[in-house]
Amino acid sequence: MLALKNKDINLLRSSEKSSLLRFLALYTVLATMILLLLGIFYYKSQEELMFSNERIKLSSYANEQVKELKLLHHYFPSRTEYPRSYNFNSAIYDIERVKIFSTLKNSDVNFDKEIYRSGDKIHFVKYLDDYYLGAKYLFLEIDEDKEWYSKTITNIIILGILTLVIMAIFGLFFVHILLRPMKNSIMLLDNFIKDTTHELNTPITAILANVEMMDTNVMVEKNKKKLHRINIAAKTVSHLYQDLTFLTLNHNQQSKDEWIDLKKLFEDRVEYFTILAGSKKVTFYLDLNYSAIYMDIIKMTRVIDNLISNAIKYNKRLGAITIILRKEYFIVKDSGIGIEDSKVSAIFERYSRFNNSEGGFGIGLNIVKSIIDEYGLKISVESVLGEGTDIRVEFLKASIGNGDSND
Amino acid sequence: MIKRIIVISLMLSALLYAETKSENIKENKKENIYEHNCIPCHRYLPSSLGDMYMRYLKTFSGEMTLKAALKAFLKEPLEQTSVMSNLFIDRFSVKDKTLLNDKQLDEAINIYWDLYNVRNKLK
Repeated sequence: MLALKNKDINLLRSSEKSSLLRFLALYTVLATMILLLLGIFYYKSQEELMFSNERIKLSSYANEQVKELKLLHHYFPSRTEYPRSYNFNSAIYDIERVKIFSTLKNSDVNFDKEIYRSGDKIHFVKYLDDYYLGAKYLFLEIDEDKEWYSKTITNIIILGILTLVIMAIFGLFFVHILLRPMKNSIMLLDNFIKDTTHELNTPITAILANVEMMDTNVMVEKNKKKLHRINIAAKTVSHLYQDLTFLTLNHNQQSKDEWIDLKKLFEDRVEYFTILAGSKKVTFYLDLNYSAIYMDIIKMTRVIDNLISNAIKYNKRLGAITIILRKEYFIVKDSGIGIEDSKVSAIFERYSRFNNSEGGFGIGLNIVKSIIDEYGLKISVESVLGEGTDIRVEFLKASIGNGDSND
Repeated sequence: MIKRIIVISLMLSALLYAETKSENIKENKKENIYEHNCIPCHRYLPSSLGDMYMRYLKTFSGEMTLKAALKAFLKEPLEQTSVMSNLFIDRFSVKDKTLLNDKQLDEAINIYWDLYNVRNKLK
């Protein structure tokens, strides 16, 4: 969320995003728990404050009641009427906690607390030293004033939301600090690639141009093979150069969309990669129907090149690459090493590679995904380890041309 | 036939009367344990048994506690364990040990508790 503002590093990898989300989730949970604890402490302190106010009043009532019990005890059994008051209800229990007499509305009593809330009543217990009428415990009951409760809950909600907002601001600040080293390292890598790319252009162009110009008819077979290898190597570097250029320069440029004849484009790109595929004796099988799409041709070329390049790179010797093109989709299928299920979701991450035996920066499929996402296309990967990988790209109906559309 | 009915009725009535009589005797016997063993001596004291019950109640509170304390005192009366005032003890001294066995003592104490129990009397 924060990193996306910077276009140079807007491709935070999903693992980094998930780390960020995990940090935010943890931070939110911890902040909520702290607020909850503070809320509970505040509630308890307010309750205690209310109890301390009520305690004074109830102690005074209890003393009055004890006097009445003393009188009744003295005159018992000639007087048998239990003392009652308009201010409170009361009950007496003996030392064995057996009820002697009660006028309590809520008979749920607790012998171990001096003052407590019981339903909508407050109970206060006085422990008697002289057991008048056998009473060890004198319970007094009054109605609870709910005003403190509503005030406390309102305060908790308002203060809680305010604190959460303040903590969220602090959280964002901390996330900035946390992400800075990660951003710096990605930026460093991007800058390195950008700088390196500038230095690659001239030598690659020179090599490829000179290889094309060389007359192979006058060469001995040994030199022909050497030149062939130079051509393959130069094309590999050229492909990498184009990826890097796209990543560092073209990616942020305005797209020049036009109708592309995909069948023709596939045929061109397959021809381009034939020499590279030949180095591993990989055979192309093409099943191409006419299809046209409204897209930037440079970007579509990057998608096709990267998919074919990967299909060659991760293929077996004497393997095959099948390309199927239909009006609404295309599939690039290889007979390569395949990808483990657990790694399929990570293949589109920048700087991620299937294995370390093959070269590359791990940016090809990341570029493919960014272009696919930019045009709202859909890409899916099906892979069986040891058997091969199918990559299917589906087009948007709005961007597909008619069979005769070729403008 | 009528004679037989009259005879059977008379026999049944006699049987019922005998049973009722025996229950009453038992009841009286129970009361007698308290009345014969407690009231005669306390009758001549200025503090009634009711007053003494209230003293016990004020000191021991609960039923089990009171009964246990009273039983212990009756079996082993001591000045220190008496609930009565020093003035009372100085004048009338502490009573003699009870001659009742445990079962009789429990019966007498239960009758005493039921007789003066405040719980059923409070309104």
